[in-house]
Amino acid sequence: MNRVRTEIILLVIALALAAIYLFPLFWMYVTSIKGQSEIYAVPPTFWPAEPNLSIFADVWTRRNMGTFLWNSLVIAAGVTAVTVVLGVGIAYVLARYRNIWIDVTLFVILMLQVLPASVMVTPLFVGFSQFGLLGTPRLAVILAASAKAMPFFVVLVRATFMTVPRELEEAAFVDGSTRFGAFFSIVLPLARNGILVCAILTFMTSFGEYIYSKSIIQDTNLQPASVGLASFVGPNSRDWNGIMAYAAIYVTPILAVFVLLQRRIVSGLTSGALK
Amino acid sequence: MKLGSIGLWAGVALGALIAATPASAQVTLKVWSIDGAQQPGIADTLSKEFDEQNDDIVIEYRVLQFDELVTESTRAIATGQAPDIISFDNPDFALFSSRGAMLDITDRVANSSVIKTDSYYAGPLNSVTWDGKLYGLPKYTDTIGLFYNKDMFRAKGLDPDNPPKTWDELLEAARKLNDPAAGVYGITFSARGNEEGTFQFLPWIQMSGGDYTKVNGPGAVKALELWKTMIDEKLASQDVLSVGQWDSTGFFNNGQAAMAISGPWELNRMSTDAKFDWGVALLPTETEGGKRASALGGFDWGITAQTKHPDEAFRFLEFMYSQEDRFFPEFSSIPARSDIPLPPTGNALKDAALKVFQEQLKYAAPRGPHPEWQKISKAIYDAMQAALTGQVSAQQALDQAQATIEGIVGAS
Amino acid sequence: MTDGLANFKASRSRDAGRVIAHRRAPLTRVWLSIRDGKGFDILVVAIGVAFLAVFAGLPLVYNVLMSFQQVDMFTLNALIRPWAGLANYEAVIKQPEFWLVVRNTVFFTVGSIGGQFILGFALAVFFTQRFPGASIIRGLFLVSWVMPGLAVGAIWSWILAADFGVLNYILKSLGLISENIFWKSDPQFSLLAVTIANIWLGLAFNMLLLSVGLASIPRELYEAAELDGANRWQKFWMVTVPMMRSTIGAVLSLGLIGTLQQFDLFPPLTEGGPANSSMVAQVWAWQQSFRLYDFARGATISVMMLVLVLIASIIYVRSTRAEVRE
Repeated sequence: MNRVRTEIILLVIALALAAIYLFPLFWMYVTSIKGQSEIYAVPPTFWPAEPNLSIFADVWTRRNMGTFLWNSLVIAAGVTAVTVVLGVGIAYVLARYRNIWIDVTLFVILMLQVLPASVMVTPLFVGFSQFGLLGTPRLAVILAASAKAMPFFVVLVRATFMTVPRELEEAAFVDGSTRFGAFFSIVLPLARNGILVCAILTFMTSFGEYIYSKSIIQDTNLQPASVGLASFVGPNSRDWNGIMAYAAIYVTPILAVFVLLQRRIVSGLTSGALK
Repeated sequence: MKLGSIGLWAGVALGALIAATPASAQVTLKVWSIDGAQQPGIADTLSKEFDEQNDDIVIEYRVLQFDELVTESTRAIATGQAPDIISFDNPDFALFSSRGAMLDITDRVANSSVIKTDSYYAGPLNSVTWDGKLYGLPKYTDTIGLFYNKDMFRAKGLDPDNPPKTWDELLEAARKLNDPAAGVYGITFSARGNEEGTFQFLPWIQMSGGDYTKVNGPGAVKALELWKTMIDEKLASQDVLSVGQWDSTGFFNNGQAAMAISGPWELNRMSTDAKFDWGVALLPTETEGGKRASALGGFDWGITAQTKHPDEAFRFLEFMYSQEDRFFPEFSSIPARSDIPLPPTGNALKDAALKVFQEQLKYAAPRGPHPEWQKISKAIYDAMQAALTGQVSAQQALDQAQATIEGIVGAS
Repeated sequence: MTDGLANFKASRSRDAGRVIAHRRAPLTRVWLSIRDGKGFDILVVAIGVAFLAVFAGLPLVYNVLMSFQQVDMFTLNALIRPWAGLANYEAVIKQPEFWLVVRNTVFFTVGSIGGQFILGFALAVFFTQRFPGASIIRGLFLVSWVMPGLAVGAIWSWILAADFGVLNYILKSLGLISENIFWKSDPQFSLLAVTIANIWLGLAFNMLLLSVGLASIPRELYEAAELDGANRWQKFWMVTVPMMRSTIGAVLSLGLIGTLQQFDLFPPLTEGGPANSSMVAQVWAWQQSFRLYDFARGATISVMMLVLVLIASIIYVRSTRAEVRE
């Protein structure tokens, strides 16, 4: 009986905490469907008097969001692909050995992502222009953003590889397997979950990429949704229902995917994969 | 000084351009400007028309945010990716013309059968001139004045035909109009920490006899203290420290502020958004009948030195010059020329406002031209913000700005 | 036990590979090494590191170089420019806002990391308790992780608005304040406003990593502590904290890197103002480069930040090394 009561109390506290934490999202959705005058109502209303759902369709067309979101998708997918292909290899090797050189490499990789993107963008822009990569600006952003996403990915995936028992791999050598064979048939499948989860996270974070896209992609038709959002939000913007509707359209797909995969992501990261 | 943000117009314009591309041998001109972000503007609308009228030229128009324009242009020029034509805010032009980044068009203009330089006002023309040579053409001009809500004036017992004339009267009016219970501030303006803040505050320094080279005179200190009083007494929202002019005036249009300092670029929006009787007055002076001043705003056109198609680019400038009679009726932009008649538009409020702004333009003083204008401007808006937030006194802040500016101006 | 056997077999098979490799032609030897030996590891790591060197290393070198040069906005794509020595560093330190920015950066970093860590740790500990729906509700606390920073900035900008913001309304209803707080325009609150938004943004990441660390502590340790008569508080300090040491190290140093990278929140919230009251190093560096077109100073500030993160990275690497070698 006592136990049940404790559980109920804990549940209530948890729900209250979640409500506070999720309030910004709630406020985003509520504001987006309020009318222009209700936004500035004092005191603010916590549920719109006349919910205006047509704003989403309106903002979608007015802000050309289809194109923007498609570009975000292309960039996020590209960054994820490059990061996974190159990052898995680094993470694997860094997990496999334990010596001073591994520490040094890990250190260098971390140091490489130290400078904020806002400072890295000038040299990258200069470099890209020299090699003609500005002609394919989304590719340029993918390369730049991958370099930014990789260190974090490596750190996480390395932890996953460290949980794969080395004996299994070495048993495969004894059975005549090559390094390639052992890597692809033994190690990768065992680390698959962790890699997948990190890939999903990389994808989601790159979906919000802003600085590089803003500076490198000049053609509006190739810019991602973050740049589209930045163009009409400042400390004192006025079109708040439009901005919130834009933000809602922008984040809802990520949130939906996240909530659907949430258990898998959390279990992938918590099942000892991430230490 | 219109504030821009990238909108869908660029996308729409570009899509239309791609669809309309004919097959003959063509020259592509890249045009950059901030027009078209919030409402149809000069550069986006007329670029499209020019493109349609000329089968041999394709215009690739790109709309940029106001804040990004100089940065993007700098980077593009430094890496050899410059567009053919850029439209800069007038104080930014010297940064590029002084460094040879813009094409010297002195001879082309002299030989042009369309363009006559003596038709331009002196201030705007000066902003595109460097070392006696012409590196661009003024696009349009603007300035700032005092918008006021006549309905609120009546409600608070003020004479709507007799708006504040001096700084003291302005403060008094703001106090009377201020109505926190109704959610109405007495006045709104922009004291933002960027060029906009300088644009709005420099005229007050100039009214008191100073200029960007002399910012710490007693009148300038008094002006800054006046602004501070308005914020301290909550006659203006403290958010004026971060609000831009476009959004600041939006509060006026919404009836959330009784007066606003802003410019003619607002007239079209205000005509539709403001559901009350409004008017425009000249900026109040320090004392009755005292020295007048106002900001000289407006953008310039320039052809970059990197262009491969200077002839076509110059044709584009000539086309723009030929269309200036449409600027005010269609875009509420005032041509920077004395030879363009501005006939009534049929909108009484807008026409009355235009008269005031034309009068105000006579007192508009330029910013610069100086190749390091951005640093001078930062010294001014930093001082303004430091004083308005109460970190240092107005005198100390402006003394600091004066020292910084002397370091910049003296060095060159 | 079985370890020994596996190691023995493995080393024998590798030795065998090496013997064969020595007899073949050099090219074949390289190929064999890639297929069977260290060559594989070297190849795999080299491709990735080369990529990073080009797209992260070169820009970093460029920035360091630029901080010692006289940079002109139109010579951006040159590498060789007039040498400036330490003049840029001197100029940056002499800026009137330098110490303010240092103070703000420290506040923002310490405040963000501290807030994220303490709240994240508290939540992680809370959710170790069993009650219905615990794992689902905990999952909800992760959403801020995947939110685009710019969208988060926009949402908070609206919540923190002064005259029409909901936070001021809530605080007033609760009787905590009597006058609206100008979160974004009052120099006393502007930095706090961005910090609050950043804590919200980083909370999820902290909570998750700390949850993982908590989950990996063997139950027996707590049971043993209970046998010794330890209360909850003592168990926390005697078991949880020491066992979490390496996780905490990782979370804090990744948090430091993340916080110093945080830029997206600033444009929609304060842009560093008013009067530089919320100006932090990464925004300042950007302002010097892209608003005042002084690219050398921007680079100089970034190099100064680099030194800061160097320290963090050392802490991080040491903490992971302790874990691997334990």
